[in-house]
Amino acid sequence: MTEHPWWRIGRRSLGRNRRRTVITALGLAFGYFAVVVLIGMMLGIVSEMVESGTGIVSGQIQVHAADYLPDHSVYATIGGDAGTPVGPLLDSIAADPAVLAAAPRVYGGGLVSTGSATAAASLMGVDPAREVRVAQLATAIVAGRLPRPGERALALGAELARRIHARPGDTVVVVAPAADGSLGNDLYVVAGVFKSGVQPLDAGTALLPIGVLQTLMALGPDRIHEVAVKLADPYAAPGVAARLARRLPVAGALVQPWTVTSPELVEYAGMMRASNWIVLVVVFGMAIFGVANTLLMATYERRREFALLLALGAAPRHIVRTVVYEALAIGVVSLLAGAAVTVPVLVWWHRAPLDLGRLFSDFTLAGALVRPVLKTDDPGAWSYIAAAALLVTALAAAVVPAFRAARVPPADTLAGR
Amino acid sequence: MKLVLLLRLAARNVARNARRSTLTALAMVIGLALLVFSRALADGGHEDWIRGAVRLGDGHVVLESPAFARSRDLADRLTPGALAAAERALAAPALRPLLVAAAPRLEVAALATAAAAAVPVAAVGVDPAAEARFSTLPGKLTEGRFLAPDDRGAAYVGDRLARRLGLHVGSRFVVSAQGADGQIADQLLRVVGVFRTGLPDADEGLIQVPLATARQWLGTGAAATAVALLLRDSHDVDRAAAALGAALAGRRDVAALSWRAAMPELDSAVKLDDDGDYLMHGILFAIIGLAIVNTMLMSVLNRSREFGILRALGLTRGQTGAIVFGEGLLLTAASGLVGLALGAGATWLLFRHGLDYSALMKGNITMAGAVISPIIVPILGPAQLLQSLAYIAAVGVLAALYPAYRATKLDLVEAMKFDA
Repeated sequence: MTEHPWWRIGRRSLGRNRRRTVITALGLAFGYFAVVVLIGMMLGIVSEMVESGTGIVSGQIQVHAADYLPDHSVYATIGGDAGTPVGPLLDSIAADPAVLAAAPRVYGGGLVSTGSATAAASLMGVDPAREVRVAQLATAIVAGRLPRPGERALALGAELARRIHARPGDTVVVVAPAADGSLGNDLYVVAGVFKSGVQPLDAGTALLPIGVLQTLMALGPDRIHEVAVKLADPYAAPGVAARLARRLPVAGALVQPWTVTSPELVEYAGMMRASNWIVLVVVFGMAIFGVANTLLMATYERRREFALLLALGAAPRHIVRTVVYEALAIGVVSLLAGAAVTVPVLVWWHRAPLDLGRLFSDFTLAGALVRPVLKTDDPGAWSYIAAAALLVTALAAAVVPAFRAARVPPADTLAGR
Repeated sequence: MKLVLLLRLAARNVARNARRSTLTALAMVIGLALLVFSRALADGGHEDWIRGAVRLGDGHVVLESPAFARSRDLADRLTPGALAAAERALAAPALRPLLVAAAPRLEVAALATAAAAAVPVAAVGVDPAAEARFSTLPGKLTEGRFLAPDDRGAAYVGDRLARRLGLHVGSRFVVSAQGADGQIADQLLRVVGVFRTGLPDADEGLIQVPLATARQWLGTGAAATAVALLLRDSHDVDRAAAALGAALAGRRDVAALSWRAAMPELDSAVKLDDDGDYLMHGILFAIIGLAIVNTMLMSVLNRSREFGILRALGLTRGQTGAIVFGEGLLLTAASGLVGLALGAGATWLLFRHGLDYSALMKGNITMAGAVISPIIVPILGPAQLLQSLAYIAAVGVLAALYPAYRATKLDLVEAMKFDA
């Protein structure tokens, strides 16, 4: 196939002034690199937030009694006042291929006291063997261990343990209002201390074996408040939740994905998408000047060449076309160069996250813990959007120079006037 | 040859090729205007977070026992003696103009119990009159009223907590906490008002009670755990903290802590956000710099005959380079001033009442203990404007170096031989 002459002229003129081409392409390639890496980084932050927001305690899907949220009433157990057999419920959830693990929970509130110091805490009854597969909280033990099933022991948040001066092996009193209206109280051994990084959890949560907490709160073994479900892919949660809801062996239960229980996170992810567009527009908007300027000068330099072509019978639209082709060729070269640098950096940065923990402390954003660890995620479609934006930038920059070139007066220019 | 003459030559070159100069300058002008705008927006946003967080929390500066900052334990409270010392320090003349309000607080971790549930909360004894000036909480009322100075056994609770405990205005519930004597003390409270801040931690875990009730319940006498200070301007924090530190020097039981130290999460969020902006600005300037280098370099290479003549007329290599460098400086200076005016002017004209991005944000988003407002009022400070100007000047100067260097390398004979 023969190359179109206008295309060939446009492409070849890139080689006429290599230095200029390189610097122009450098601007566009750097713009592409910066945009894609920056977006990859922002996506990395969002996925990290979704990971921590759902992974530390809540899980990607939660099952509750329909009236449990938002009141968290002690009485609102799954299956109503009679409860539901926990084993079959968990089995039916775990049977879904997308589910990695499911863990039952009972919640209460009480005072935890070492005798000399007392603090109020949320009490969370867990099945330790299942919980470690669902919540990072259960694996974030910094001293001692998790209590064993049936053991009259608990694990305290690090900040809570510090405030009441409790260490593994100490005995604490827990006083909690029970479901039957009485005040339950008992002695427990501190089995371990956990540190999740989320302040309210570390300062105000105690984990107990689920059966032990049910006894303290006068709840039967079939009565649980929540099942937390862990999925391999957080973004599959809405679909899996709908599937689970149809198959659940208990009436009146609500299956909700994190996108429903943590609307803040969804909202934040949406804002990040909007800011990605802003980054894209601003960076390429600035890059336009560099390309336009270069093309304008390149066409001015070659006005004799254009005049000659016009004099030989080329139509102005041919001149427009050759300048546009030239810009497109610069765009393609920059895109190739930009992608060649961007892809390895993305992969490397994804594998070797940059830990800024020494400069910044953790903080919570939109209800999720943000650790100052920067890593990039696969920008996916954004890399194509950025590529399209680069080519559009190159073309937009060519408009004015192309029409100027087409309007070169042939006779005057060739005469040197 | 005189510097003035070189500069005049440079100025003529800039003016002679108006289109090229305009395009180059435009990149800088728009870049600088964007920088000024985005800095003003970021500063406005940060000020908003800080103000929101300090007014709901412990203020710009908090006076408390250094031990309490770590333990949050009632045993480390400010004794009446320490409280009196804090009040004397607050009366210092250097501090008066900076201060808006001072609010004493007696805070304890407690368990709130009603028929439906038991929930851990932070129970805070407050002076209702001081809080009305200090805090945004009284304004977040959704039901009932805020605490009044002569209330006894009254409670102002968050809406999520009220739902969990099944409380309404007029309902009674019990709070239990360890008192000053180490024993568990119970207090019966009556809900007088319900608030909603949008912050889950506050809406589900905060109860305000009158200071007198809290003191009686916990048996602390005329003590407080902290005195929270609200300043006129967040930028005065270090000045106020230093003045208080000097006034309280020698006392071990009370010290001044700025919000940066008291809320490291928020400090970290602000810094990280700032650094994200710096990264974006760095990228922008790199692109602008490349555009300037390219344009100036082209103009140097196009004008080899002109430089050849200048050299033939006796200019040294350095002077030729100086002309090119001067062109860069003039362009930078001109576009710096125009960009600054454009950025500050557009920001002031279009957004002085705030940039409303609530369309992007349906619910509310909280960050490090602050609710992010969907309306940002940009702040234009002279320091930021000068800094932005300095950045663009640095980019312009750096970008002019290489073309100037190229101009010094011109081969005189080759340049004159060239026939355009």
